Formats: sequence, C-alpha cells, structure tokens
Amino acid sequence: MNLRKIKNALIRITSTIVVVLITIPLLWIIFDVFIKGISVIGLEFLISLPAPIGEGGGIANAILGTLIINAMACAIGLPLGIATGIYLSEYSNDSTFSTFIRTIIYTLSGVPSIILGLFAFALIVIRIGHYTAIAAAFALSIIVIPIVAKATEEGMRAVSIEIREGAFALGLPKWIVVTKIILGVAKSSIITSSLLAFARISGETAPLLFTALFSYYWPRGINEPMASLQVLIYNYAMSGFEAWVIRAWGASLLLLLLVLFINILVRRISTR
Amino acid sequence: MYKLRVNGLSAWFQNKQVLFDIHLEFPEKKVIAIIGPSGCGKTTFLRCLNRMHELTPGARVEGKVILDGKDIYSEMDAMEVRRKIGMVFQKPNPFPHMSIYDNVVAGLKLMGIRDRKILDGIVERKLKEVGLWDEVCNDLKRSGAQLSGGQQQRLCIARALATEPEVLLMDEPTSSLDPASSARVEALIRVLKNNTTIVIVTHNIQQAARISDFTAFIYNGKLIEYGETKEIFESPKDPLTEKYITGRFG
Ligand SMILES: Nc1ncnc2c1ncn2[C@@H]1O[C@H](COP(=O)(O)OP(=O)(O)OP(=O)(O)O)[C@@H](O)[C@H]1O
Ligand SMILES: [Mg+2]
Repeated sequence: MNLRKIKNALIRITSTIVVVLITIPLLWIIFDVFIKGISVIGLEFLISLPAPIGEGGGIANAILGTLIINAMACAIGLPLGIATGIYLSEYSNDSTFSTFIRTIIYTLSGVPSIILGLFAFALIVIRIGHYTAIAAAFALSIIVIPIVAKATEEGMRAVSIEIREGAFALGLPKWIVVTKIILGVAKSSIITSSLLAFARISGETAPLLFTALFSYYWPRGINEPMASLQVLIYNYAMSGFEAWVIRAWGASLLLLLLVLFINILVRRISTR
Repeated sequence: MYKLRVNGLSAWFQNKQVLFDIHLEFPEKKVIAIIGPSGCGKTTFLRCLNRMHELTPGARVEGKVILDGKDIYSEMDAMEVRRKIGMVFQKPNPFPHMSIYDNVVAGLKLMGIRDRKILDGIVERKLKEVGLWDEVCNDLKRSGAQLSGGQQQRLCIARALATEPEVLLMDEPTSSLDPASSARVEALIRVLKNNTTIVIVTHNIQQAARISDFTAFIYNGKLIEYGETKEIFESPKDPLTEKYITGRFG
C-alpha cells in the first residue's frame, strides 16, 4: 500500500467519524423530543385551551397564536423583503446609496433577535401601554426582511442577460420585464426563502417575550397579548409542574415537525 | 420602396467607437445578410436597428435609422420600435419559467391580450410556421427550456413572430444548431420573406449566398460594400470583400 492510498483512507475515515459525531446529537435531540412529546399529542391536546395552573389541558391557543403572529410577520416582511431585493437587483445601478442599503439590510440579519424584541418593546409596547401581538409581528418581520431580500436579489441577479434581452426585444416595458420575466424566473428561490424565513421565526422566542408575551385564552385580537408555542414551551418547561413540563415537550415536538416539514418542502421545491 | 434606411449610423461602447458612419437601405420583404470577420461590429449594427444597443451600460448611438419614414431614435419610443422590429438571438433564450405555449405568446400576453381563442390560434399558427407544431403540439404545457437546442431556437423565432413584426433581425440564428436544424431555419426564412423584411448576421458565407437577396460586408466597423448578393459574390468591387468571401481571411 502506498502513501497516497493511506492518506486517502485516513481522510475518508476521519471525515466519516466527524460526520457521525455531529449527527448523533442532532438525531438524539429529535429522538428525545419525539419520545417525550409524542405521549401527550392527541386531539384533545391540539384543540383545547390550557387547563388551570399545573393541570393538563391543550395548547390550541398557542398553535393558533404562532400561526397568527407568523402570518402577520410574513405579511409585513415578505412584501418589504421582496421589494428591497427587486430594488437592489434591478434599480439600484450599484450606487453608493444601494451599497449602503445592502449593508444595513444584511447587518440586520446578524442582529441578535433579543435586541429586535427590545426594540419592538420600546417602540410599540411601551407606547401602547400593553403587550401586543402586533409588536411581535413587527420584531419577527425584521428577521424575515433580510432573508427574503437577499434571496430575491441573488435570484434575480442570476437571471442571464440573454433572458433579459429576449424580453426587452419583445418590446416589453421594463416594469413588466422585471415583474413577469426576471421575478418569474427567480420565483422558486423567493418561495424557498420565504418558507425558510417562516421556519426560522417559528423558533424565535426572545422577541416574543418582550412583545406578545402569553395568554391562556384564545387570541382575542391582534392588538392583544397572544399565546405562542415558543413562549408556552418556555413557560411550561420552567414551571416545575409535571403535567406542564410534558406539554412543553409535546409543543416542542409540534414545532420540530413544522420546521422539518418546511425544510422537506423547500428541498422538494429547490431540487425540482 | 425602402423598409429601413440607415443614415450615418455610428456606435460606441464607452469611448470606443465600433461603427463608423454607416449608410444603407433595406428594401421591403427581402433578406439582407450582414457578413464580416469576427469583432467587426455585425452584432452591434443589428442591435442599433431595434434600439437594443442602448440597453448596454455606457453604449451610445449617433445617426438615424428610419423605419417607414420615421426615425426610430427621435420619433418612436424604444418599446414600439422593438415590437415592429423583432429579434432572434445567437443563443436560444426561451423564458425558462414559462411553458412552450406561454413562450410563444409572451409578448402578447404580458401586454394584456388575454383572449384564449386568439392566443390559441396564434400559438398554433406560429408554431406551424416555424415547423415546431408537430413536435410539441401534445405538450404545450411543458417548459420551453426542456426542448433541444434547435427546437428552442425555433420556439424563439415563433416568439419573435407572434407580435407580427415588420422587420426581423437575426443574429447568427443557426450557429448553435446542427445542419438539419439549420436547414429548417433557412427554409423558414425563405417563407417569412413573403411578408417580413429580414436582416440576418451570419458567419457562414454559403448561407448568405443561399438565402439573401442583398449582402452588406462590414469590416472594422465600416461598411465596405453593399449590394445585391449575386453581384457581391460574383463581382465584388472592393478587394477586401473579395478576400473575405473567398475565405482568405476572417
Ligand atoms: N458590451 C461590450 N462592451 C464593450 N465592447 C464591446 C461590447 N460588445 C462588443 N464590444 C466590442 O465591439 C466590437 C464589435 O463587436 P460585435 O459584437 O458587434 O462584433 P461581431 O461582428 O458581432 O463579432 P462576432 O462575429 O464575433 O459575433 C468588438 O470590438 C467588441 O470587442
Ligand atoms: Mg456577433
């Protein structure tokens, strides 16, 4: 056996070991959440409200709350993110101003989410005088915007000059070329990033603690405190009541399945 | 009667001049071939005829291009010009997110024509015109990007024809095609001539001789010679032209 073969084998073996080592904890987490969470999941759990302190009950209001808050965050974040991406790709002419905007937007994606929560707290919660889901949606939308803006810009920039010229040569005005051709070609990367942004904010907890906080009742309006899976997990897991701790695991499993489902969806879209 | 008259056309990329004071006329419903060595400015010339040149950042044009008595630069807007003067590119460029059907009628649909019956008719007519109908009539919903190179190019020609342009510019439309597909496109050009003026850039001298009525020879951005194809090929007046068509350079 020569040296080259030994080196080759060595690298193959070490990299395989590393992959196995990092996969174990990941699978362990999924497995653990599954084992601990699956026992409470049932129809009752999914469709009823929490029971009084320390007793059983369901998490329906938190499921609904997370969906409402995410939907609102996307309703704000997706159009703004897509519009920003369109501007940066098609209308910025790579000016100093656009470089400035791009830097700002992409720095936003590095800001710890707890700071976004604090910001929404100071800007909205303190002014209004009570916790509100609107502030939560606002904080989460700031997470959505850079993710979607970046994917939109990159997806649109990747559209070749040949395709663009083919569209202009048909006598189409620029706005139609941009919205129907270039955006159309970039559509799947925009959808993919929107789904990933949705998954990402489904896991954010810190911003919600400062904004929507929690509620043991059905959502009564968007300008009210609102339950969410994330904060429910946080509250229940820390409560010390066995019935609640196990419900925190059940809620964790639901969140995990949601994120898993979205990621599988994304893979299917992007490999199509 | 001239369809298109080019009057003192010069073109630049940034500060680099690539076309110098070109004058010529294209008669209606004829095929005009543009020939010349690589880099002489054929593509640039073609792109000046439907205002595509100005899409390149830093590009500039001077002079007049007169379509039916109207200067396309000062008396028409660019979109109107491009609808009347269609273009087919060297590399097939179907819209990858659209079906074959939508590719053909992209120019119409995106400009607001929605009538299903009208669109259906145009799709069938244009695909038949380019000889693609029999090959694709059963899967018009398929993506245009899934066709072969030759089929894609014919799809792009159908797309350019769907808006009924009066002039069709073709930039080496057969250079990426196999001989059989090239022959089909050439046959198509002969048919299209019945109601369209066609300006075709080609590197293939034989092709120019086969399909064109008039030939323009460009060298280093200057129009060296222009006239009936027969004359250009049988008795070129300029020694450069003769050298080029006999294959002694370029
Ligand atoms: N985008 C551009 N920016 C700067 N210069 C360019 C650009 N496109 C072309 N040129 C230059 O303009 C001149 C003419 O180019 P053009 O593409 O018109 O030549 P061509 O005759 O079509 O060549 P070919 O036969 O190789 O296609 C060349 O010198 C080329 O280098
Ligand atoms: Mg060229």
